[in-house]
Amino acid sequence: MTENNYIYAPSEHPADKFRCKVPMKGTRQLFVIDGGVQGTAAPLSIKFDEGNCSDEILQVIGVRTSSGPKELSSESSFSFGQNSQGRLILCSHTFAEDPFITKEKIKISLAPNSSVDIVLMQNEHNDAEHISEFEIDIQRDASLRMVFLTLHGGKISNNIKVNLNGENASCDLNGLYIVDGKQQVRNLVSMNHKDPHCYSSQLFKGILDDASVASFSGLIHVWPDAQKTQAYQENHNLLLTKEAKVYSEPQLEIYADDVKCSHGATNGRLDENELFYLRSRGIPKKEAQLLQQQAFAYAVLDKISSEELKERMVSLTEQRLRGEFSKCKNCCKNCC
Amino acid sequence: MLNIKDLHASIGEKEILKGINLQVKPGEIHAIMGPNGSGKSTLSSVLAGRDTYTVTSGEIEFEGKNILELSPEERSIAGIFLGFQYPIEIPGVTNVNFMRTAVNEHRKAKGLEPLNAAAFLKIMREKMEVVEMNPSFSSRGVNVGFSGGEKKRNEIFQMAMLEPKLAILDETDSGLDVDALRIVATGVNKLKRPDNATIVITHYQRLLDYIVPDIVHILYNGQIIKTAGKELALEVEKRGYDWLING
Repeated sequence: MTENNYIYAPSEHPADKFRCKVPMKGTRQLFVIDGGVQGTAAPLSIKFDEGNCSDEILQVIGVRTSSGPKELSSESSFSFGQNSQGRLILCSHTFAEDPFITKEKIKISLAPNSSVDIVLMQNEHNDAEHISEFEIDIQRDASLRMVFLTLHGGKISNNIKVNLNGENASCDLNGLYIVDGKQQVRNLVSMNHKDPHCYSSQLFKGILDDASVASFSGLIHVWPDAQKTQAYQENHNLLLTKEAKVYSEPQLEIYADDVKCSHGATNGRLDENELFYLRSRGIPKKEAQLLQQQAFAYAVLDKISSEELKERMVSLTEQRLRGEFSKCKNCCKNCC
Repeated sequence: MLNIKDLHASIGEKEILKGINLQVKPGEIHAIMGPNGSGKSTLSSVLAGRDTYTVTSGEIEFEGKNILELSPEERSIAGIFLGFQYPIEIPGVTNVNFMRTAVNEHRKAKGLEPLNAAAFLKIMREKMEVVEMNPSFSSRGVNVGFSGGEKKRNEIFQMAMLEPKLAILDETDSGLDVDALRIVATGVNKLKRPDNATIVITHYQRLLDYIVPDIVHILYNGQIIKTAGKELALEVEKRGYDWLING
């Protein structure tokens, strides 16, 4: 990693600076406070050098505080050099109950033969609106896996544009959104297959309670030259109440004739047969329903490659589904 | 232990059980036989508390208490176990998580502390041996990708974990080859105790070669039309149901 572009969280934390009290083993933390990197206030720009294959996970924790403006626009970029391997955890939190609007542009570019793993966790309060635009460019033989976990937030919108630019580029996009109350989540995916032999898959799952609203709109666009494309898309939603609403909109635009593409969408309720089976073994209805929801979410959580992170996210998801505010074990949430 | 009096149950407008009377005492094995559509599976679902069926009249007493108002989980805690004809697949819920949750709910009801992971796994391994189940099944999703035989073994394994007072085994033999049938039946026999009882629901005599009943009932059109000893099952095997229905 290029040092200039990479500001490590200092090992000694001044009392007034943010830090994570329960960092995961093998991770480095970097804080972005109200849009600027902690320490320099500069926009975030991370470069992984050519051939860099560190096992370390870089965790970028974006925090909104009451000292920042109500409305904020920021840009950040992540670029991965040829043959590099990178692992990122991107978190966004709000640490004040003020109404926030955050507009973010995130550029992610993968040079040929790089391999990148990103887990994104969105955990904000009910008065927070967060609009993120992802522009992702994946070149020849490079592969990206991304997991979006939208656990909490007033109005969260992820606009994800992926360009597969070069043969054998691959992108595995996954998302889990859990909404209740009047929360709203929108995921807008545009997967562009521009070259032959590329692979993409999308799996987005949502659990909606109360009067929440979610939408998923996923486009697979296969360009005329992109023969031998494989592109798959699935969106499944679990509606726990009659008031919850979901809009699921798969779109396929295919201009090549030798491709494998599929999409599927379901919106449904908890399965009654499963529920009876669980209850017949002595599990109370509420716990049984929770197990069903956890099981539903698991397919997405299972895409997290770090076992430790997966365990944490499974436990955060459980807390969230139990209606508790999700935070890591022993975390005091105020990050300082 | 179980006392069913003039039980009527319907699904929607359709009456399926039309006055069932049945008494089961501790230590007994009862077999309920009958042609398709006679109400066998309905009876087992109603006993387990499935709310798709409405009990329109009659009583079900279990250990002297009316259980009609109890939820499925309360009936399980009380000691009733239903072995499903078609065990449900639950992707994402592992067998171990499923059973640990269930066993700890049973323990909680008895005022016991939840089992820790090590103690639980030990018991789980012991009980899996009862049905010759491969330990690797514990980390798999409940019944997901299990063969017919494996699913039924998993039912008996769950029964072994929960140690019910009354087990109702609904068509446990359906879809089983001879080896699986032997394993399942052996499991049931191993779990037999003087203070528990079993109701075996089946189409065929075959299972009853392995699990020998004390009493055999023939269910037809929502009523028990004949009750006798185990020889009745053999007679049904030879002569079918017609002579009972028309006789």
